[in-house]
Amino acid sequence: MTTNKTRRIIAAVLCLACVVLLVLGAVNLPKKNNASGDAILGDLRVRTLLNATGDGVVESYVNIAKKEAQAKAKAEGGGMSAIRDAVKKAEEDTRAKYENAEFSQGVVATPELLTAIDNYTAALAAHGALEEAAKQAYIDAHYEEAKAKMEAEREALLAAGKDVPEEETVEVDMSGFVPTQEMLDAEAVVDGAYIGMGEALKVIYPVLDDEALASLQETIDAIVYQPGDSFDTQYDRYLEQLGTKSSSGGYLIRHSDDLIYTALALLVVAALTVFYEVLVAKLGIPRVIIGVFFILLCFMTLWYDLSLSTLLSNTVVRMGMNAVMVLAMVPGIQCGISLNLGLPIGLVAGLIGGLLTIELGIPGWGGFLFAIVVGSVIAAVCGYLYALMLNRLKGEEMSVTTYVGFSIVSLMCIAWLVLPFQSLKLRWPLGTGLRNTIGLDSTNFKHILNNFLAFKIGGFEVPTGLLLFVALCCGIVWLFSRSKTGIAMQAVGNNPRFAQASGIDVDKMRIVGTVFSTVLGAVSILVYSQSYGFMQLYTAPRQMAFVAASAILIGGASTTRCKISHVLIGTFLFQGVLTLGMPVANVLVPGSTISETLRILISNGIILYALTKSGGDSRA
Amino acid sequence: MQSEYVLEMKHITKRYGNNTVLSDVSLAVKPGEIHALLGENGAGKSTLMNTLFGMPVIHSTGGFEGEVFINGSKVNIASPQDAMTKGIGMVHQEFMLLPGFTITENIKLNREITKANPVSRILGKNLETLDMPSMSADSRKALDSVGMSISEDTLVKGLPVGYMQFVEIAREIDKTGMKLLVFDEPTAVLTESEATQLISVMKSIAESGIAIIFITHRLDEVMAASNSITILRDGKLAATRSAKDTSIVELAELMIGRKGESVVHAEPRSAHFDTVAMHLQDLKVNMPGEQVRGITMDIYEGEILGIGGLAGQGKLGIPNGVLGLYDMEGSVELFGQPLKAGDTKEALNAGIAMVSEDRKAVGLLLDQSIEDNIVFNAMQVKGNYLNKIGPFTLKNSSQIRKTAEEMIQELDIRCTGPTQASGTLSGGNQQKVCIARALCMSPRFLFVSEPTRGIDIGAKKLVLETLVKLNREQGMTIVIVSSELQELRSISDRIAIVSEGKLVDILAPSASDADFGLAMSGIKPSDHNKKEG
Repeated sequence: MTTNKTRRIIAAVLCLACVVLLVLGAVNLPKKNNASGDAILGDLRVRTLLNATGDGVVESYVNIAKKEAQAKAKAEGGGMSAIRDAVKKAEEDTRAKYENAEFSQGVVATPELLTAIDNYTAALAAHGALEEAAKQAYIDAHYEEAKAKMEAEREALLAAGKDVPEEETVEVDMSGFVPTQEMLDAEAVVDGAYIGMGEALKVIYPVLDDEALASLQETIDAIVYQPGDSFDTQYDRYLEQLGTKSSSGGYLIRHSDDLIYTALALLVVAALTVFYEVLVAKLGIPRVIIGVFFILLCFMTLWYDLSLSTLLSNTVVRMGMNAVMVLAMVPGIQCGISLNLGLPIGLVAGLIGGLLTIELGIPGWGGFLFAIVVGSVIAAVCGYLYALMLNRLKGEEMSVTTYVGFSIVSLMCIAWLVLPFQSLKLRWPLGTGLRNTIGLDSTNFKHILNNFLAFKIGGFEVPTGLLLFVALCCGIVWLFSRSKTGIAMQAVGNNPRFAQASGIDVDKMRIVGTVFSTVLGAVSILVYSQSYGFMQLYTAPRQMAFVAASAILIGGASTTRCKISHVLIGTFLFQGVLTLGMPVANVLVPGSTISETLRILISNGIILYALTKSGGDSRA
Repeated sequence: MQSEYVLEMKHITKRYGNNTVLSDVSLAVKPGEIHALLGENGAGKSTLMNTLFGMPVIHSTGGFEGEVFINGSKVNIASPQDAMTKGIGMVHQEFMLLPGFTITENIKLNREITKANPVSRILGKNLETLDMPSMSADSRKALDSVGMSISEDTLVKGLPVGYMQFVEIAREIDKTGMKLLVFDEPTAVLTESEATQLISVMKSIAESGIAIIFITHRLDEVMAASNSITILRDGKLAATRSAKDTSIVELAELMIGRKGESVVHAEPRSAHFDTVAMHLQDLKVNMPGEQVRGITMDIYEGEILGIGGLAGQGKLGIPNGVLGLYDMEGSVELFGQPLKAGDTKEALNAGIAMVSEDRKAVGLLLDQSIEDNIVFNAMQVKGNYLNKIGPFTLKNSSQIRKTAEEMIQELDIRCTGPTQASGTLSGGNQQKVCIARALCMSPRFLFVSEPTRGIDIGAKKLVLETLVKLNREQGMTIVIVSSELQELRSISDRIAIVSEGKLVDILAPSASDADFGLAMSGIKPSDHNKKEG
C-alpha cells in the first residue's frame, strides 16, 4: 500500500514538473521566430562582431608597427635582411603587447553601427539564398551526368578486377559552377554594406585600417551568415565566438524545445511509475526495459538535435531488412527445436543463390527471384539433413543448433575459397577465392525491394517494397500456422507426447519446421543483402542468428512460444535501439564503439535471460 | 527398563497441510519377529516408514504427532543417519548400490575398515588405508548369512536383479548393532524361487534376533513369512493380527474395506453382451513402471469394463499399449479387424479414443485454447474442421467455435470462454476438455484412464455420469482404468483386476471385498476358495 502511495506521489510530482517545463517551453518556443528572439540575436551579433573586429584592431597595430620598423630600417640604411628582421621583430613585439588586450571590453555600439550591421546581415542573407538556389539548380542539372560517370568508373574498376570503393552517394562536381548575374549583384550589395559597416566600426576603433577590415571580411561573413541558419545555429555560433556559455534570456529560448521534450519524457516516466506493475505483467521485464530505453533514446536524439525522423526512417529500413531473419525463428520455435541458432545453414544457402545470380549475370527482379529459388532449394536440402540430426539429439537442441551454426560458417569459409566462381565481381582480383564483401549494384539486385514504390514524407523515407515483402513473408508464416500441418507442428513443439498420442509423426513435423525455418533463413539473407547493398561472406553470418534470436525474445517470445507480433515488435525495438543508439553514443562518448558493445550486450544478454525463463514459465 | 518390543510407534498422526495422511496409527514390533505391514497404494505405509527414518520430507513439512520408542526408551529420530546409528536399517525397493564398485565395497561403503599410514597420521583419519582383507572377510560372512555363494570381489554392475537385492540385505545385516530391518516390497522384482529364498533368509535373520518389518501387497508371502501383521487403510490402522489367527481372505477384506459411499451409482444390468468389441491376445506392453506381461481378454460391445489393480501393476499399460504410445507385443483385434501394433494414427482412425491418465503431460496442450484442444484430434486424424483455400488447408474457426461451445455446454466446462488457455483451468475442467476431445472423434471404443485422478468430488461425479450417459445413450464401449476400486464398482459391468502385468480375474462389481483384495494381491479368488475348500 505504502509503495503504491509513494509511487503516486512521485508520479504527481513528476507531472507537476512536467507542466512547469511545458509552460516554460511553450512560452519561449515562439520567441525563436518573433521579434524578441531577433532582438536577442541582434544583440549577440553586435557583441560578436565587436569582438571579432577587436582582432582587426590588433592586426592594424601590427601593420602600423611593421611599417614604422620598415621605414626606420630603411632610414638606417640596412640591407634587405636587416629590414626583414626588423619587420619581423616589430610584428612579434606588437602581438605580444596586445595579446591579452580586450578591445571590445566596454565598447558601446553606436546607432550608426547597429543600422549598418542590420543592412549587412540582410544583404548577406539575400545573397546566401540566391547562392543556395543557384547551386541546387546546378546540382539538379548535372546529377544524372555525375551518376553515369560514377557508374562508368565502377564498371571500369570491376572490369579491371580491382576493388570497388564502397560509395553510396553521388557527388556532383561543383568545379564547373559559375555564379549567376543575380548573385554577383547581390555580392556587390554585400560588399557595399560591409564597407558601410566598416566606416561605422572605424568610429569605434579609430586605429582600424582598411587592410585589416578587408582581411576580416571572410571571417565576419561566416559568423553572421551560414546556409540553413536558424535561431539555434546562430545562437550557438555567436556564443562559441564570444567564448561564453550562456546569455540571459537567450538560454530558455534556445532550449525551449528541449524543455518540451523533457516535459514529455517526465510524463512518460510518471506513467511508467504508476503503471509499472501492469506493464511488467503484460510485457515482461526485458521488453519494458528495452522499450523504455528506446523511448529514452528517442528523447536523447531530440535533445542533441539529431534528426529523429531520419533515424526512425533508418530504423524502419533496418527492421525490414532483419524482419525475415527473425521470422525464420518462428517455425523453429513452433516445431520444438527452440531457437534455431543453426540458421547460418539457411544464410549460406541464400548467399550461394545470390552469388549464382551475379555469376550468371541475371539482372533485376529475375535475378532476385532466381537467387531466392536457388537459395531455398539448397536450404531445403541442407535443412532436411540438419533436421535429421536434430531428431537424433532431442533435448539438446540449444547446444546442437549453436555448434551447427558455428561449424557451417567455418566450413563455408573454406568453401568460399575453393568454389569455382569465375565472375570478376566475385573473385579476388589476385589469387583465388571469393571476396569478403561483394558489392551489389544496379546491374543485380541492390535495393530492389527498398526502392520499389518507395516514397518520402519529410525526412521519413518509406521503403514500400521491403515492407510489402516482409508482410508477404509474415502472411505466409501466419497462414501456415493455421493450416493442418502447421497446427500439428505447433502441437509437437508445445507437447510432443500429446502430439504422439494424437497420432502425429513427431519427427516428421520437426523436419517440416526446421526446413521451413532454414528456407526462410535463405530468403532473409537475400532481403538483408539487397537492402545493405553488399553480400558478406566468410564469418559475417556467424552472429546473425544470435541477433535474430534475441530480437524475437525481446518481442516477447519464449524458447517454446512465439507469435508473429513478437517478430515485428522485437525487430523494431532491437533495431531501433541500435540505430538510435549509435549517433547518441557518438555524441556522448565521441569516437567510441559503444554502440557495437551495446549490440552484443543486448543480444547475448537477452538470450541468456530467455534461457533462465525457458524452464518454468509455462502456464501449466 | 527392558521392553517387550524393539520398536513401538504410538499414535502417529501426520498431516501435509490440511491433508491427513496418517491418523492415530500405532505399530509394535517384537525382537526377532517378522512383522508385515499391509495396505493399498496411498494407505500410508510409506509415510509411516518415512516417519520412522526421520526423512527430511517429514521434518520439512512440520514433523508429526505421536511417539517412537526403541527398546522401551523414547527416541527422536532426526535423520536417516540417526536412524542407522540407532540400529534401524532399510532394504530399498530401488537398489541403492554403486554399479561400478565390487560387492565388498558396496557393503562396506562409508563404514570402511581402515589402517593408519604415515600420511594419515599427519593429515587425519580420512586418508587412512583401506583394510581390504578384513573388509572382504566381513562381506563374506554377511553374504553367507543370506545364502549367497558369489565372490565378494564381483562388480555389482551386471549382477542379476535378484542378487542385487541380496547384496543390499547383506549390507544391512553387516551393520553392527542392527536391531530392526525394513524390507520395502523386496519381492516385487524377484522371481518366484528367489522370493522363496528371500523369505527363508528373512526367517534366518529374524532367528538371529533382528526384527523385520516386511512391506508388501502379496498376501500369500505375508502368510508364509510373517508372525504378526498390521494393516493400514486410508491412513488409519485397520487391524493388527497375529499370523496364526487370520486367513488370506480376512486380510484381503481388511485391506480393501468399504471406503465411503460412491458418488455415482449406475443401474446394474443383467443384459448379456456377446459381440466382442476388442480382443487382446497375449498383450505385452513395455511401459516403464506399468509393464504389461501378457494379457488375453475380450471386451464386449456396449459394456463398461473397469480395469483395476494396484499402482505399478500394469493396468495403465493396457490403454497406452493399444494406442501405440509404448512398445507393444501381441495382437489386438477391434471388431474382428486386426489392429496394427504401435500405430497411434491407425488406432485412432479405427475408432478408438483415449483419455490419458496424465492430463498435463499427455492430455492437453496447456498453452493452447480450449477450442483448439477440443478439436485437435478430429482435425488431425479425421480432417474435420478444415477449409481448403488454394494450396493451404486452413482451420475453420467458426465451425470450431460452434463445436467448442456445444461441448462446453454439454460437459459443463467452467471457463471464461472457448479461447481460454486450457492450462489455466482447474483439474476437473481440464479432464472434461480431454473427454470432449475424445468425443469429437465420435469413437466406437473409448479408453478412459484414471478419469478422476486429482479432481474434486463434484467434477468426479460429472465425469463419471458423463461416461455412463455415453454408454447408455450411444452404446459406446468404454474401458475405465482406475486405481479407485469404489469408482469402478459403481459404474462398471465387469471389473478386470491386473497384478504384476497379468490379468488375475474378471469380477462382477458385486463381488466381495475379500475377492477384490485377493485379486489385487495376485491370487485368483475362485482358486483360493477352492483350495480352502
